[in-house]
Amino acid sequence: MKWLLGLVLVLPLAAAGPEAIEKGKAEEKRACVGCHGLRIVHVQRLSRAQWDRELTKMAGWGAPIKDREALLEYLVATYGDDRAVAPIPRSEDASNRKK
Amino acid sequence: MFSRRKWMKVLGAGMSALDGWGQAPLRFPGKRSMLVQNDFPEDLETPAEYLNTWITPNDAFFVRQHLPRPKVDAASWRLKVGGMASNPLTLTLDDLKRMPQVKVPATLECAGNGRANYRPKVPGLQWSKGAMGNAEWRGVRVADLLKRAGAGAGVQYGNFNGADQGVAKTPDFIRSIPMRKLTHEATIVALEMNGAPLPEIHGFPARLIVPGWDGANWVKWVTEMELSAEPSKGFFFATGYRYPKYSPAPGSAVKPEDMEVLEGMAVTSYFAHPAHGATAKKGIPLRLQGVAYGGENRVSRVEISTDGGAKWLDAKLSPQNYPFAWRLFTFDWIPPERGYHVLCSRATDSAGRIQPVECPWNPGGYMYNAIERLGVMVEA
Repeated sequence: MKWLLGLVLVLPLAAAGPEAIEKGKAEEKRACVGCHGLRIVHVQRLSRAQWDRELTKMAGWGAPIKDREALLEYLVATYGDDRAVAPIPRSEDASNRKK
Repeated sequence: MFSRRKWMKVLGAGMSALDGWGQAPLRFPGKRSMLVQNDFPEDLETPAEYLNTWITPNDAFFVRQHLPRPKVDAASWRLKVGGMASNPLTLTLDDLKRMPQVKVPATLECAGNGRANYRPKVPGLQWSKGAMGNAEWRGVRVADLLKRAGAGAGVQYGNFNGADQGVAKTPDFIRSIPMRKLTHEATIVALEMNGAPLPEIHGFPARLIVPGWDGANWVKWVTEMELSAEPSKGFFFATGYRYPKYSPAPGSAVKPEDMEVLEGMAVTSYFAHPAHGATAKKGIPLRLQGVAYGGENRVSRVEISTDGGAKWLDAKLSPQNYPFAWRLFTFDWIPPERGYHVLCSRATDSAGRIQPVECPWNPGGYMYNAIERLGVMVEA
């Protein structure tokens, strides 16, 4: 029966479909970019518990999070610790040195 | 100085251009092509190929910012030295320039350099190996400022604040440095970086240089040194940049009372060349290059292994041999046979510290210094 209980617990998470993800993505844009760009979020790959703690910290620092659940599901689904690490992009060369 | 409203306007414009997802080309005036960990505020990693000169040019030097960068007007900027002082100071930039100036070559390394290597992963910027650089800093000894301000006998800390300010309820960035480090002759308030006025992104007009200690201590755009018997109770000193007093099991929680402030950096080394995954030709010499750093100590030795750590041979070190500053290493390798070779570098410092095979996991992802392993495919 333990496996059944496990399945019941996991199903809602696995069921975070495209609509829920889009909702969380919109919430991220609304709640986070007032203070910082999103790359600092997107370079990270964290567990559900770690993302949860990050949201608590950010809310304490004034992030106007309204739909916390959607935001958490989106972060876990997109930037969870089981997701592949994305390469860090390079900027254009904007130095003043002679090339 | 930019108001928050103005920053929001700039940010808003940037975000609409990027649609929030950074599709537009990334460009940071005055900087070479950098690894972009974040674009607002800018957190830029130095690509490994630039870790090949003793002095890291300003335009290739990494950037770490916690808070939006202030726009500081040099004419109205002041450095206040107060608190437990018999002669509190309010100094202009010219006042500082008229004081005796000293040059200090020192490596600046972010406490989280190498964080990307920790497993399980930890929150924070996922620096690889380029959150470090070496520069020649020039400015005024903090010891001279303490003397001039008449620091009281009971002073234990200098609590440093910069012109940057927290957005929303984000705490202000304040760091406390104990007197034993503040009075060291190499601890300075720098006005110049590599012979030029400090670039704005690196703290113009003045930043604290705390040689051998992690970058969080090197407060930028510094405006205030409060002399106190107590350290700051703010987040960025009392909670942030803390390291466990014992080695915790990877992924486990550590109680706040079991955490302590970071001070001197670990001994470490990194390859600048070749890159991981590079190819080489059998029998054709390949020069391995990189940097080695010992925090407050000198670098006394770098060894190289080209067989995954079975055998080690000494690398050649650059002549600069100072505490606080890195040394370059080179090793001429003739790839002996076709196949995949794992190259490793291992530094030892003057205190006898040596890089480990695996460094202790910690919740902040700080002080990563395990031996780097880099794969090269040798073709016939």
